[in-house]
Amino acid sequence: MIAALLAGLIFLSLFAGHLPPVWLAAVCLLAMILFLVGSGHHHDGVLTMDVYARRSKLCKENAVFKTAVSVLLLILCICSGSPFLPIGLFVFLSVVTVAAGGVKLREYLSLLGLPAVFLLLSGLTLLWDFYQQLPSEAVLMIPFFGGWLAVVPAAQSLSMLVLSRALGAVSCLYFISLSTPLPEILQVLRRVRVPSVVVMLAVLIYRYIFILLATFRNMKDSAASRLGYQGIKRSLHTTGMVYGGLLANSFKRAGACFDAMESRCYTGQMIFLTQKKKVTYKILCLLGFPVIGMLVGIWLL
Amino acid sequence: MKELLAFEQVSYHYDSGGEREALFPLSVRLYEGEKIAVLGSNGAGKSTFFLLANGVLTPRSGTIRLCGEAIGKKEKQRMQLRRSVGLVFQDPDVQLLAGTVEEEISFGPINLGLPEEEVRRRVEMALSYLGLTAHRSRGPQYLSGGEKRRVAIADVLAMEPQVMLLDEPSSNLDPAGRQRLEDTLDDLHQKGMTLVIATHDVDFAWRWADRVLVFHDGQLVRDDTPEAVFAEEELLCRCGLEQPLLWRVAKALNIPVPKCPEELANDQIGRKTE
Repeated sequence: MIAALLAGLIFLSLFAGHLPPVWLAAVCLLAMILFLVGSGHHHDGVLTMDVYARRSKLCKENAVFKTAVSVLLLILCICSGSPFLPIGLFVFLSVVTVAAGGVKLREYLSLLGLPAVFLLLSGLTLLWDFYQQLPSEAVLMIPFFGGWLAVVPAAQSLSMLVLSRALGAVSCLYFISLSTPLPEILQVLRRVRVPSVVVMLAVLIYRYIFILLATFRNMKDSAASRLGYQGIKRSLHTTGMVYGGLLANSFKRAGACFDAMESRCYTGQMIFLTQKKKVTYKILCLLGFPVIGMLVGIWLL
Repeated sequence: MKELLAFEQVSYHYDSGGEREALFPLSVRLYEGEKIAVLGSNGAGKSTFFLLANGVLTPRSGTIRLCGEAIGKKEKQRMQLRRSVGLVFQDPDVQLLAGTVEEEISFGPINLGLPEEEVRRRVEMALSYLGLTAHRSRGPQYLSGGEKRRVAIADVLAMEPQVMLLDEPSSNLDPAGRQRLEDTLDDLHQKGMTLVIATHDVDFAWRWADRVLVFHDGQLVRDDTPEAVFAEEELLCRCGLEQPLLWRVAKALNIPVPKCPEELANDQIGRKTE
């Protein structure tokens, strides 16, 4: 709800003075409706991405290729001097993720809600500024403690560029995280010679974060079933106990897990067998198009 | 029968005391192709026995022999023990560490330093053997309890050990999962694998095992056939165990103890026709 209001405000400030009032109102309303639809349902945040990535139809494609192209697109997107290229990229990659990947549009929009609030807030600070005297070119203005809060066209074009770049970058990252399960991304990191200690830690953290969350949920539920969250004082106390228990549990489990690794001849290196996935024509076309588009766009604009 | 693993006066105790159980001088020999059930209450020393047999712990005193050769304290020798003796942990979540089932199973064989082709063959073998082929690219966090258990067994199977130790494999399984596990165990035995299973399920021990080890307070108190062990009510009571259901039924009916319910039914029908 707040995000929707914020979105309406941002679009109003972005396009004020550029569009006739009727159009302006329509754009703002559309943005607000999109946000209301997107934020309709709740999810566990980041962990749902893992589920979507494993379900995605693009999951079968070569991970190295997907990652490399996403990074390339990310760089091109940031280099772009015009706001239209990143927006085009955002639309294209969103369509790829939703249509070719099979992520539901509603789920995709809902996931976009996560970074949207940050984006919108930073957009707000870029757009509105405080002036002692009202600038003559201001398109929107509010009197404020003897001065003016106003939006000037220069700020509009700057924030348009920043917002569009951020949006394009988010779509690149969402494309890779919604089409490639994390273990495969970690394999790519190993291939590009990221120190093996870092990759090993990431592998273990990825695995144990699920166990930690499951344990936490169980402990919380069992505390709640014994009326541990009645009143603020009681809740604080219980929360502390649950976290403490979680720490003790983690230590104990870490010992057991190490024993289990040793029992399978672990000697300090964690290597796994990977499935070989070829670069298919499908993914080549899907990702080749935006790369060429971005390159040509940057050259022309 | 070929002797695979021998404990000679092996003892162990934890520095921290408490929590995990110690093991007092223990001598036992395991032979090829045996089906052994290890019984004992919680804290009787079963898990310590397994960790020692697998080379994760080193004995404080005594010797462990693998195929007649003494295993010393050197890392290389313990590694030899870990290659030949596989251990399936009680809690699969402790054991599973990779992001997908396939990667998970490949962890052991890769650690053995095998070439990629061989690793791939073993992973495929373990996957198909435990009926996990369809789950190969799923994450362990999205598997059910029974599936996790099968992945844990596949992990160890892919290392192709001579002896497999399973720590309470049927705990937390539903009846269907338990049946499937028993089928798998029968298959493995057919393949010639030596199996040692720690369990609290005396009914399972009675119908499955051909040798029973009873642990109590860190000591091996009995090593005999199931028939002999379950006949000793006083021993069972002292170790926090009980007679299998079929034993109690047979005692109440005053008939010889059958191995399975079907045998009991046949016996009853035989009597009626007499």
